[in-house]
Amino acid sequence: MRRPAVVKPMEDVYPGAAPAAIARARAESLVLEYQVKLTRYLRRMVGDAEVALDLSQDVFLSAFRMLQADPRRELTAGWLYRAATNAAISFLRRKKVLRMLPLDRDVDRGAWRVDERSAASVDLQGALAQLPPQQSAALLLTSYVGYSSAEAAELLGTTSDAIRQRVCRAMRVLRTVMSEES
Amino acid sequence: MMTRCDCARAETLAGAIALDEADETQRDMYRAHLATCGRCRSNLGGERAIERVMATVAGARDAERWEPELRAASMRPRARYPVWRWIAAVAAVAVLAVGVRAMERHPAAATVAQRGTATEQAVARAVAALNTQTAPRREHEAESLTFASPGSGSMALALHLDGRAQGRCVVTKSSGNRVLDETVCRAALRTLSTRH
Repeated sequence: MRRPAVVKPMEDVYPGAAPAAIARARAESLVLEYQVKLTRYLRRMVGDAEVALDLSQDVFLSAFRMLQADPRRELTAGWLYRAATNAAISFLRRKKVLRMLPLDRDVDRGAWRVDERSAASVDLQGALAQLPPQQSAALLLTSYVGYSSAEAAELLGTTSDAIRQRVCRAMRVLRTVMSEES
Repeated sequence: MMTRCDCARAETLAGAIALDEADETQRDMYRAHLATCGRCRSNLGGERAIERVMATVAGARDAERWEPELRAASMRPRARYPVWRWIAAVAAVAVLAVGVRAMERHPAAATVAQRGTATEQAVARAVAALNTQTAPRREHEAESLTFASPGSGSMALALHLDGRAQGRCVVTKSSGNRVLDETVCRAALRTLSTRH
């Protein structure tokens, strides 16, 4: 299976620049590099474009604050994905407890454009809506984002066998959804 | 070795197969387990079934065309969040915007800008972007590199490096100037291969 590449930790190469300028430049390149990937991941997690945009903005804002406090701090793609996963999981939990919104994660079909309403996309989103957030995260971080099970395990603070097991369970649900459609 | 009832182990094996992380021994173990366990055979499915399910995830990923516009989105007031949070977000966007300008006025870039041609500027930017952003992590995988290009917004290069550190580069969003794009590609690849 072809996986998309995940990007290495970023390095600072702005010798002699003021710390504040480094922080801004790094924050800017973070946003440029990851806003699309990260927000797409979040939309898959929460099933809603508006919420994904909100959460993604929160993640970049806290990344920016961190860089502001320490411009040379190492900030990796992994940090962003971990923050995004936590944000999505706590959003889903909050939504469930407060019952402000419908309990199940509906697929907001309206906001998914026609060209991405492929059978694969709808099936995947249908399965994700039924899965516990931890299983959704395991499936997406590996096969959708491109991390190996060991890397995903490190992000989520668990073992790679646990990630593989979650992927397997997520796959079972996806398989059921696929067979219902056909 | 796996016993007949080791269905928990079969789950992790199926996960490893799904992620293409299983070696031949593990695949054999999985096949052996399926041969003796009807429940796993119907619940998890064989390797072919696993591949089919995972192809759906890859298909969904590749079909995705949604381009979120974060800056535009952040300018909208939101009732769901307190006002201070909105203000903080707008402030951050403003600071980021200033940041881009600050980066453009960065000493190194500025020196080039004074004496260099448009091509040299673009090359300097590409190399700076390469250093701060991204490089192919795994062999045989493409990596995209986005950087600000003067006058024409951003330019995206897809870099590809093989095992002997020889690269290919494709401009995915051309600035419209082929000579410039090719020079930038070559410079990016040179920087990349000296690092490997």
